[in-house]
Amino acid sequence: MRQYIATLLAGASLLAPASALAADNFAIFNTRVVTNDGAGVINGATVLVEDGKIKAIGKTDTANTPAANGTSIIDGSKMWVTPGIFSSFSLMGLVEIELESATNDSSAGDADNNAGLRAADGFNPKSTVVAVTRAEGITHGVIAPNPSNSIFGGTGAIVDTTGEFDSIVNPNAFVYVAIGQNGASKAGGSRPAALNMLRNALRDANRKYIAPDDGDAASRTDAAALAPVLAGRIPLMVGADRASDILAATALKEQFPKLNLIILGGAEAWMVTGALKASKTSVLIDPVESLPGNFEHLGTRLDNAQRLDAAGVQYAFMARTAWFSHNPRLLPQHAGNAVANGLSWDAAFKAITATPARLFGQADLGTLKTGQTANLVVWDGDPLEVMSAPVRVVIEGERQSLTSRQSELASRYNPTSTDTRAHKYRR
Amino acid sequence: MKNLSALLLSCTALAIAGCGDDAKTSDAKDQNTAFASTYEPLETGATLITNANIIDGTGEQITGGSLLLVNGKVNQISKEAITPPDGARRIDANGLWVTPGIIDVHSHLGNYASPDVNAHADGNEITSPVTSQVWAEHGVWPQDPGFDMAIAGGVTTLHILPGSANLFGGRGVTLRNVPSRTVQGMKFPDAPYTLKMACGENPKRVYGDKGGPGSRMGNVAGYRQNWVKAAAYKTKRDSGDYDRDLQLDTLADVLDGKILVQMHCYRADEMAQILDIAKEFDYKVTTFHHAVEAYKIGDILKENDTCAAVWADWWGFKMEAYDAIRENLPFLHAAGACAMIHSDSQDGVQRLNQEVAKALSDGNRAGLDISKAEAWKWLSANPAKALGIEDQTGTLEVGKRADVVIWNADPFSSYAKADKVFVDGALIYDRSGGMAPVSDFKLGQPGTDAAPIGGQ
Repeated sequence: MRQYIATLLAGASLLAPASALAADNFAIFNTRVVTNDGAGVINGATVLVEDGKIKAIGKTDTANTPAANGTSIIDGSKMWVTPGIFSSFSLMGLVEIELESATNDSSAGDADNNAGLRAADGFNPKSTVVAVTRAEGITHGVIAPNPSNSIFGGTGAIVDTTGEFDSIVNPNAFVYVAIGQNGASKAGGSRPAALNMLRNALRDANRKYIAPDDGDAASRTDAAALAPVLAGRIPLMVGADRASDILAATALKEQFPKLNLIILGGAEAWMVTGALKASKTSVLIDPVESLPGNFEHLGTRLDNAQRLDAAGVQYAFMARTAWFSHNPRLLPQHAGNAVANGLSWDAAFKAITATPARLFGQADLGTLKTGQTANLVVWDGDPLEVMSAPVRVVIEGERQSLTSRQSELASRYNPTSTDTRAHKYRR
Repeated sequence: MKNLSALLLSCTALAIAGCGDDAKTSDAKDQNTAFASTYEPLETGATLITNANIIDGTGEQITGGSLLLVNGKVNQISKEAITPPDGARRIDANGLWVTPGIIDVHSHLGNYASPDVNAHADGNEITSPVTSQVWAEHGVWPQDPGFDMAIAGGVTTLHILPGSANLFGGRGVTLRNVPSRTVQGMKFPDAPYTLKMACGENPKRVYGDKGGPGSRMGNVAGYRQNWVKAAAYKTKRDSGDYDRDLQLDTLADVLDGKILVQMHCYRADEMAQILDIAKEFDYKVTTFHHAVEAYKIGDILKENDTCAAVWADWWGFKMEAYDAIRENLPFLHAAGACAMIHSDSQDGVQRLNQEVAKALSDGNRAGLDISKAEAWKWLSANPAKALGIEDQTGTLEVGKRADVVIWNADPFSSYAKADKVFVDGALIYDRSGGMAPVSDFKLGQPGTDAAPIGGQ
């Protein structure tokens, strides 16, 4: 009987569009919960969210029985509840249309300063990309400008996908620099030039500037942006793929011991797991990369993640092969493919949730625990399966709209529509 | 040295742009025999697959079925037991899924090969808006490691196209995805040639400051002007008294219905205009590629018997890709149009089954009721139609080429991998059996072999 009532309520709550954002209240029972915490995966679970907080997680038998007054009750028997997906790197919100430069803030080819260029200053929460990404269960993301006229791309940010104007979680989260062939092309033409520029810039971070151009490699403002990197307060994200380039990055710690390094790319990271581990360097990889895409990807292997995992290296997933600007939403598919290639489901899922959240200093994200502000997704199936999709997304305790420009276009042109008016009238 | 290279390059460019057009010849026979396929199936014999969950490519699904391949062809497909010839290879699929081999109708494997170095940019003759004289196969490197990853994704047939900078980009070629030292050894025997054309942003962006076209108006004028030339050339060619012109040969073959037009086109309104040009000059557009807005004109595509080849979810990289929706494939299907997935990517080609799975689930969420067996048409039967090889492959009907994939799980899952892949009945890839082709390029490179995990 209780189940019957709950099912009726569930239908209503799932179909009702979220109106103005408010603290969410719902209970879901008989569901599968991925906590990414000590509790692991709980089957036949109840999750109770009240006033935007996770009030209870437990077996359906033992958890608090949700009160029906004002609370949506969802039969979650085919559903999964997980932490929101945390995208470890993308250009989400910096690019509306890639080839239209007026809408593309991903790089600044003519800018004088670089390390100090803040992604947060270009992030547009109203970009259609944000809503499209949110609807696929990505609740948070790391963004940074691309290197353009220097090895430094700029200062990266962490954002949420609410689309609200307060969605920047951390505007000064890390600095992004490229070495390898990308860095070489920005530094004058060689890898030694890129490493030389990077080392000089890090030394400049400690320099007392009298004139703005006193530095060997960094302007005064860039040196200021690098100071917290040098002190280890924020990570240095280093774009590198060739094993020898990754080793060049980890070797920086001999000279600058406080550096907190995150490698972006890491195609050949599996070849240098010892150095990665010893230097406590973590790696952001795309687990579907399979080809020697260029001469610094010759060691690309589909079991890169599995090898990093076996060696105890910290890694998270990004979706470089799906481009960085528009499809961070494909992260769950990429993680699912990592499972197909031999990684455990648990490790693959953490690589798009808890692990990147921790690497970027957001310890409260990527897990589900009682007492937290809810950042979670209810899925209609296994989130790593390509045929699954979110039915409810909650960010910072608030239920989010799953409507986007794409879903509106799909509604307008849906062949099952009985609306015979001209398309422009169909809403 | 650099000067010498530049000189050589410019001569080559001149020859391609015009010098070659002076060559006087010859009868049409040369065109048809040049670069002929030398492909032979890699093995003959018989294979019986039993206890399989078979999607046959026509929209049917057979649970617990058997499939017999003999001499490179589908010999029998049945729910009942099949008695194989003596000596047949027997595979108990043990309930696994068996499907037709996947056909990627839009690939640049071999002509934008991995590794992506300047020397491998052989996929687009970006020297003039009209380059219908070039052939994609002349830029295909059979050692592209991408072919070997595509076979691991269950892709048995590939259509390699020139790029999209030009109004008329050149001839495409259909290949068997088999290990070969030469491109001739991969050519799909007797598959029709295709002509790559392109709409919209690319031609006007590339040629806008190089003499045009610089607008969509210029694009359309460019198509029409060249069809006028082609029609005049065809009349002369038909008379037998003519100077052979490689550029116009290709266009005249389109007017003769021998070459199939494959047109890169994103916007719905633009596709509708292209269909009018085809009517004006009496040719057919076989397939619109990319066709991000095809879902807006499913009825028009159906009426014109023109297919659409699309991605599941690429979008936003340029203005004409802004209106993408994930339901494009299922909405086209529901409109009765010929729809198919395509990759245009050395990465995407490895997971086309998953791309279809995404589209299928989103279509059904939007209220449609399309089965997996029906959706498989987007992976093989419809691309076979688009390439004019539907009488030879794309389904597991008796008599067709035995292009077959055995999957290790439901191919509509993220977790599925192609386990065994047959091209013309020959086992080309065997994941669980440890057999996979390795390109010359990969030999001796760091990623090719690695110690067992945990043993480093």
